Amino acid sequence: MSSSISRPHIYLLILALFLLLFVLLFSFKILIPKGKEYRMLSSELKQERRKLRQYQDFNDAKLEIVKELQTENRIIIEAFDNNFNPKKFEKKYKEYFSQLKLSSEKKLADEKEFSVYEVNTTSQINSPKSFYNFLDAINKSDWMISINFPINFKREKEGISSSFTMKVYKIDKKSDKNSTKKKVILAE
Amino acid sequence: MRYSFIQPRKKTVLTQEVKLLMAFFSMTIFMLLSTYLFLVYKDYRFIKNRENIVQKRYELDISISNSKKEIIYLNDEISLSQDIYKHNSVLKESITNLFDLIPSRITLSEALLLENGLVLYGITPNKDVYNFMLQAPLRSIFDKTYTSFYPADNGWIRFVSSNYIDVINMKEKKDEDDE
Repeated sequence: MSSSISRPHIYLLILALFLLLFVLLFSFKILIPKGKEYRMLSSELKQERRKLRQYQDFNDAKLEIVKELQTENRIIIEAFDNNFNPKKFEKKYKEYFSQLKLSSEKKLADEKEFSVYEVNTTSQINSPKSFYNFLDAINKSDWMISINFPINFKREKEGISSSFTMKVYKIDKKSDKNSTKKKVILAE
Repeated sequence: MRYSFIQPRKKTVLTQEVKLLMAFFSMTIFMLLSTYLFLVYKDYRFIKNRENIVQKRYELDISISNSKKEIIYLNDEISLSQDIYKHNSVLKESITNLFDLIPSRITLSEALLLENGLVLYGITPNKDVYNFMLQAPLRSIFDKTYTSFYPADNGWIRFVSSNYIDVINMKEKKDEDDE
């Protein structure tokens, strides 16, 4: 019994089946897994982006706080940064005293990240009021100064001689604060 | 001698049907391959983007930690400055109160303000004036008060008054002030 399908048609059928098989295998074995991987990576990337945005927002908020603190407390920060200059100090606060003399600076133990210097002063005032004015002015000083005990007032022929010690606070250069500052600026 | 009325055709494997089939599958395979290549490229981009994000997050981590350190540092500075300003203001008040405390009949020649005490040198017309007008208020402020008297040239009495606060009481008072 002879077949009704001609030989070229059989070849055609085999070729079609072979190509169809290739397409199906390629699709199921390679393309669909790749598609799944794509979908997975895409959703992971979305999550990572969301997290990154949160990080960025958090970082922005922190930088904003730093900026606000720096702006609001510029005078304080500068006061801690400034090097104490006895001559400039004498010149600036001379108006409160009829005589003002600063003796040697002595470095005290560091407090936290700050270096503390002790300065002894001898001065002469006309009345205690000028000393009160000096205490008011010292809180607006270019340096961070705390007036300390012992404070001595002695009546003399001309006015009152006074002596007191001052603690000058300065940022300790040894601390890693400056490097932190640089890093923050870089991150901005 | 011819046995057919038509010219014999050349027989080839690539018949019209095969060509059509090949064209159809070529297009299909091309589309599949291009989809595959697109996916491979996209996956590569995703991986690269994720690496970038991880790197950025690491940098942000450093920046956040630096900002936190900076905030702590600035708060330390601010708090220390406020303590210093407060200390200076309290000192001013203390000195004002001290001088307000001295009655007009008593003249001070020297005042030494110490961390935990006060030493006053002066002259008083008599002991009673000193005892009632200066020692009484000093006793209410300080825990220990010692006074020594010696006569002055003009008939008045010179005095040295040493007044001290106990260290424990001083610390308690400081804590109360801080609160």
